[in-house]
Amino acid sequence: MLKEILKNIIRRKSVVPFPQGFRVSPEEASKVTDLQEKIDAVFGRSLRIRQVDAGSCNACEWECTALTNPVYDIQRFGIDFVASPRHADAVLVTGPVSRQMELALKKTYLATPEPRLVIACGDCAVDGGVYKGSYAVTEGVANVVPVDCYIPGCPPSPMAIISGIIQLLEKLTHLR
Amino acid sequence: MMEGILRKAKRTAEQGNEVYLEVAREDFKKSCVFLYEKKRAFLRLMFAADERETGGEFKIYSVFSVPGKDRFYIVVLPVEEGSPTFPSITSSIPAAHWYEREIRDMFGLVPEGHPDPRRLIFHDSFPADSHPLRKDWSLSGMDKKEWGEGTAGKVPYRFMEVEGEGIYEIPVGPVHAGIIEPGHFRFSAVGETIFFLEPRLFYTHKGTEKHFEKIGFPEGVRLSERVSGTSSFSHSAAYCMAVEKAMGIEISENAKAARTLLLEFERLYNHIGDIGNMCAGTGFAVGYAKGALVKEELMQLNERITGHRYLRGMNVIGGVSKDIFRHRDDILSTAERATREYKEMMKLILGTVSHVERLENTGILSREIALKLGVTGVAARASGVNDDIRKSHPHLLYDKLLFEPHTMAKGDVFARMMIRAEEAECSLSMIDALLESNYRGDLTVGVRAIPPYASALGYAETPRGSVFYWVMSDKEGRPLRVKLRSPSFCNWPAVPFAVHGNIVPDFPLCNKSFNLSYSGCDM
Ligand code: SF4
Repeated sequence: MLKEILKNIIRRKSVVPFPQGFRVSPEEASKVTDLQEKIDAVFGRSLRIRQVDAGSCNACEWECTALTNPVYDIQRFGIDFVASPRHADAVLVTGPVSRQMELALKKTYLATPEPRLVIACGDCAVDGGVYKGSYAVTEGVANVVPVDCYIPGCPPSPMAIISGIIQLLEKLTHLR
Repeated sequence: MMEGILRKAKRTAEQGNEVYLEVAREDFKKSCVFLYEKKRAFLRLMFAADERETGGEFKIYSVFSVPGKDRFYIVVLPVEEGSPTFPSITSSIPAAHWYEREIRDMFGLVPEGHPDPRRLIFHDSFPADSHPLRKDWSLSGMDKKEWGEGTAGKVPYRFMEVEGEGIYEIPVGPVHAGIIEPGHFRFSAVGETIFFLEPRLFYTHKGTEKHFEKIGFPEGVRLSERVSGTSSFSHSAAYCMAVEKAMGIEISENAKAARTLLLEFERLYNHIGDIGNMCAGTGFAVGYAKGALVKEELMQLNERITGHRYLRGMNVIGGVSKDIFRHRDDILSTAERATREYKEMMKLILGTVSHVERLENTGILSREIALKLGVTGVAARASGVNDDIRKSHPHLLYDKLLFEPHTMAKGDVFARMMIRAEEAECSLSMIDALLESNYRGDLTVGVRAIPPYASALGYAETPRGSVFYWVMSDKEGRPLRVKLRSPSFCNWPAVPFAVHGNIVPDFPLCNKSFNLSYSGCDM
C-alpha cells in the first residue's frame, strides 16, 4: 500500500495512460468535455444526484456505480451520487417502480429540495420494460413522480447515462 | 436405499435425474425428514403449483438432493382446494421456513405448525386473502391503488421486539445511502453491538413468477435475464435448461461449451468486483478502485464478444445466439491482462493489514447455521459446506472440467473473500481449458412444441450460489407454473446470524461479503 502511494507521488507528473483495451470512442469523449461548462452554467460547479432503486434488477445500479470507477470517473465533472435526498439536485430512479416501493420513492422525491430534477434511468423506469403488465409494478416512474429526463437502455451503458445527463443539462441551459 | 419412501409413495415418476414421489398427507413430513436427516440431503427448493385444471388439486413440491448423487428427489403432496393446508416441515427442516411462508402468501395454502404466522412477501397494504399465483386471482383497481400508496395497513406486520436495559432500535432503509437496492433493516443494538437484526425485504417484488406465466416460454428468456442483474446469464441458462428439458431437446456441444464459458465469465467479473467492493466497506479506496477497474475491463470484454455488458441476449431456447469462439484471441489476451492485474490487486489487498484485520473474525456464519438454513454458494462454502451445483449435479461441460469446490472453515468475511479469490482463479483456468478445444454442432438446435403438462428442473451455479427454475406447461404447452429460486432467497435469512455480536459499522461490510441480490430474492 505504502509502496503504491509512493509510486504515485514519484510518478505524479507523468500522464497515466488509459488502460489498454478500454473503449471510449472519440465522439463520446468530445461530448463529455463540454459537460463541465454546462454544469458550471446551470448548477454552479456541481450536480448532486440521489439514486433510488424502485425495483430494478440491479444492473442499472451497477452501471451507475461504474460511473464512479476510474474509467468513467464522473466525479471529475462535479457530478456525484450523494447519500441523502436532502443534499441532491436530482433524483435518478431505476426500476419499473414496484408497488411496494412507490411510497418510498414519493417520500424521497419530496425530501429533495426544490427545484429538483427527476431522471428515469433504464427501460423499466421509462415504461416498465420487461415487467410491463405485471400486477406488482406501476409501469414507469412518470406514473409516480414527474420526470424531466428519460434514459432508455437495459441497462443504459455508463456512457449512455452520461449523455442522458448532458441532454438534460442542455435542455436546462437553453431555458436560462 | 430409498426403498422406505419409495414404498410409501402413492405414485412415482422418473425423468432424467428427477425422481417424483407423490405421497399421502401423513407421509409428507416423514419422507422429507427421512431425506434430510437420514440421507443428509439438501433442501434445494420448495414450492406450490396450482394444478386444479388437471385434477382439482394444488401440489406442494419439495426438492432434495442427496450428496454424492446426481439425482433430485422431489416429494410431492397434493392439497385439495377444500382444505387448503399442509403439514409444515420447518420445525425439523429450518431451511423450509421462508418457502412455506411464500407458499402461504402466493397460494393461500397454510403450513400447519409453522412458527411464524406473519406474511413474508406482501407488505401491510396488500389485501388479506389475496393470493396472486392462484389461477383465478385478480386484484381490484382500488386494492392496487391502496397497495401502491402503502398507507392502508390492512395486515399489520409486527417486527420482533427486543427488550432489556440499554437496548435501542435503529431502523434503516428501504432507501439507503449508497447506490444499492432497497430493503429495510431493523437493528436492536446494545451500544455499538448488534444484538438482533430483522430484515424486512420484498420491496422490489415485481410479480415475476406470475409474469412468466403471462408472457409465455420464449419471451421468458428475456425476463429470466432480468431477475437479478449481475446473474443474468446464469438465470437464463437455468431457465433455458428447464424449458429445453421439458421440450425434450438437447443442445449441441458447441452451445454447451459457450454456456459453460459464459457462466465462468459471469462468475469472474462478479467475484473480482465483489472483492473490490468489500474494500469499499472498510474505506480502502485504492483496493476498491482496482477491483472496479478489472471488473470494467471484463465487462467491456463481455460487450465485445456478446454485444452486452451483462451477457444478455446470448441464451435462447435451444442454444446460444452468437458464436463467441470467434473471439478466442481477444478473450485470451484480455484474460491474461486481467489475471495479471487481478494478482496485483490481491497482493495489494492481502498486504494491507488495516483492511484484512477488519475482515478477519467479522460476520462469522457457523457451519451449523449455514446447513440448517440451507445457505448456498460462496457463503456456504466459506462456512465449510462443500456444495457446488457444478460438481454435485454436473451439467453442460462441467463433468469434463477438472475442478474441486473450494471450502474454508471459519465462515467470516475474510473466508468469503478468499473463496471468491480462489474461485476467480479457478474460473480463469476453466476459461483457458475451454478455449483449447473445438466444439461440434450448430449454435442452436430446432425447438419443439412443449407437450401438455410437461415439467422439468433447470439449474446453474451463479456467482452467489445455486439458482433453480422449475417449469410446467399447461394443456396448450404454455407456462402453467414457473418457479424460480434465486440463491439470495436462501442466503438472506443467514445474514442476521452472521451480524449478531458485530458492531453496527461493520454491517455494510458483512452485507457486502454476502453480496445478496434483493431483486432476485424479492422476485
Ligand atoms: S432497465 Fe433493464 S437493467 Fe434496468 S432495471 Fe430494468 S431490467 Fe434491469
